[in-house]
Amino acid sequence: MTSATARAAGRGAAWAWRIVPIGLFLLVWQALGSSRLVDTSFLPTPIMVAHALGDLLSGHEIRDNLLVTLWRAIAGLVAGAAAGIALGVGMARSAAFRGYLAPIVGATYSLPKTALVPLLILWFGIGDRMAIAAVFLTCLLPVVVHTVHGVTATPPVLVWSAQALGASRRQVLWRVLLPHALPDIFTGLRVALGFAFVVAISAEMIASTAGIGRLTFMYGENGAYDYMFAAVASVVLVAFLADRALLGLGAVCLRWHESGAGEA
Amino acid sequence: MTTKIRIRGVSKTYQSGDGHVHALDRTDLAVSEGEFVSIVGPSGCGKSTLLYIVGGFIAADGEVLVDDRAIAGPGIERGVVFQEYALFPWLTVRRNILYGLENRDLAAAARNRIADRLIGVIGLKSFEHRYPRELSGGMKQRVALARTLACDPAILLLDEPFGALDAQTREVMQDELLRIWLETRKTVLMVTHDVTEAVFLSNRICVMSARPGRIVEEFVVDLDRSVGRERLMLSDAFNKVRNEVWLAVRKQAVMAAQEAIA
Amino acid sequence: MADAAGITRRWIAGNARALVSVGAVLIAWEAAARLELAPPLFLPSVSAVASRIAALTADGSLPIDLAVSLARTFAGLALATAAGVTLGIAMARSRALHWLFDPLVSLGFPAPKIAFIPVFILWFGIDSLSKVLLVAFACVFPVVIATYDAARAVRRTIVWSAQSLGTSRRRLMWGVLLPACQPRIFAALRVAMPVALITTFTSEMVAGGGGMGASLMYAQRFFESATVFAYIVVMLALGLAFDNAMLMLRARIPAWREDG
Repeated sequence: MTSATARAAGRGAAWAWRIVPIGLFLLVWQALGSSRLVDTSFLPTPIMVAHALGDLLSGHEIRDNLLVTLWRAIAGLVAGAAAGIALGVGMARSAAFRGYLAPIVGATYSLPKTALVPLLILWFGIGDRMAIAAVFLTCLLPVVVHTVHGVTATPPVLVWSAQALGASRRQVLWRVLLPHALPDIFTGLRVALGFAFVVAISAEMIASTAGIGRLTFMYGENGAYDYMFAAVASVVLVAFLADRALLGLGAVCLRWHESGAGEA
Repeated sequence: MTTKIRIRGVSKTYQSGDGHVHALDRTDLAVSEGEFVSIVGPSGCGKSTLLYIVGGFIAADGEVLVDDRAIAGPGIERGVVFQEYALFPWLTVRRNILYGLENRDLAAAARNRIADRLIGVIGLKSFEHRYPRELSGGMKQRVALARTLACDPAILLLDEPFGALDAQTREVMQDELLRIWLETRKTVLMVTHDVTEAVFLSNRICVMSARPGRIVEEFVVDLDRSVGRERLMLSDAFNKVRNEVWLAVRKQAVMAAQEAIA
Repeated sequence: MADAAGITRRWIAGNARALVSVGAVLIAWEAAARLELAPPLFLPSVSAVASRIAALTADGSLPIDLAVSLARTFAGLALATAAGVTLGIAMARSRALHWLFDPLVSLGFPAPKIAFIPVFILWFGIDSLSKVLLVAFACVFPVVIATYDAARAVRRTIVWSAQSLGTSRRRLMWGVLLPACQPRIFAALRVAMPVALITTFTSEMVAGGGGMGASLMYAQRFFESATVFAYIVVMLALGLAFDNAMLMLRARIPAWREDG
């Protein structure tokens, strides 16, 4: 074996070793149901859940609703991130702007954003727009806060070096401030991603006609508990994969960073 | 004089990255009761590692005997003072010093008396209810020393205890340590990179080779310390020993540098 | 007397910008409402919201809702702290425990715990128990992770000092490691607090069973927008109050501050 394949094999083995506890957990779960220690209507076994999952993935119900939720979460996240970065940069560069805006940012940070859902229902009714608006508002703040932190923490010597090399204000922004703030921005994005899912699903559970939150509730009301667990499991999985994807993206974009923030 | 600490054939290898780091290679050392032994050597030679092994914090191959018995982990008879960051940040000065006393069979009044005495000895009476974060480096090390002395260990293991302090504070602390040692005659094993400090304090100096470390030279230091610091450090006898030890360490450091380039 | 005036003046001067921006928002809001830039249903005036808050407080419904919601929040948070800190420290000391639980914690951390509401309702009903447990479930992950990271980061010189001063294994875990982790555990709790509040309110909004969230949904269903705004403002004030309380606590208790 070449050293590259040896390393890959090593990584694969390490990865497999990490999965074992999950396998153990599934085994115990299965055993609880099979041995009738637990009523399977309260806790469907993994096999039943997997069956439901398979059924619906091919029957498209879970998949379609997941996609709706995903669309709402990502759309709101991207819009909120873009606005958040812009706002954050503005606040970081102008002390006056920051002074006026920071109290408002600080105040709304403490507001549980799902509380806005009933208000947004009044404004936008039930549906996509309401959910995306809720996600947008939720994602705005963590990104703003982290962007401000990242930009203001840029060591002056970096900016001065760039200016001494003839950089314009615009170039300083794009080539010094933003790259330096990138690790912090990614942290903010990771936080915002978590919030995005929570708010999207909450909005659906509270009032919606579509989405995985709504679907999970429906299954619960109709007593289809194995499908309900399957829907929840699919959400957990998607959220985990989305987080990993973001980490991976961060690793690629932050390859150069000293702290090894690029190594997920 | 009895042998208090006996180190025989101690080796230590670390796993690091793709390979192994041999920190120590069959090191031998014997420390008699009441001696003050310093270990000096080039950076990274493993002298701190040896101290941690004697302290019982790291396992290693070979034998470490204290009072002719093998050690089994850390113990209250071997007090340790680290270079820094060893005070409990959530406890005040007084509570830090009281900490070890709580594990002994003493009445509260006795514990408080010991703490009071030590706080007086280190001169921090007005700081006894402050937290470590409010103290300077020198003050913190004084508290660390007091905390270790509170348990009256027979052996003192010191890992570059004054390395993080400025030159003046270092001298004050060295005087303090010397005074305490002359009074209590504990067995002291100290690791330091400062050759002058080693000569000032110890009655025996062991020079360690570069990594993998073993003791390669020994110097007996027989100076009359009663003449006071100024006369001592300006004396020919002191400087002769200092120069010899410095040369010995330098030789090891140069060999290490050459090997690194090779 | 002069002192009070002086203190007030200094506070105003120090927070001038904050007062200006918050004041501007309130004025703009009131003006927009009065000018009916948006239908009163969408934007009740500041005065309408304020008087609604007063009315709800007077007739007792707001205080009761507050008490119910906060009881659930704190019960859940307490549970999460006890379980999370214990597990975090245990995982830091035992490689086996870490191996066993780390994948579950890593899998669960990014997951929206809100998605589990139907599961908790199935198991524990729609009353307080399911909500408290859901809050605990949501908050335990950040606490475990922060405690674990903090325990691993405790400088070995502290652990070794404690050991050479004759500390038993048990005292080492609870008398040394735990106190050493206090600042970071506190920081995690500061983050967990809004999570606990959100989870409480959301589960009340979704499942009813009393509390602020349930009343909020009730108001929305009957299009009582002043009441909707009133509850949102109170929730906002709650979030702010608790965060400031935690900051004040931290200022008072030196052991909870991150030191150098």
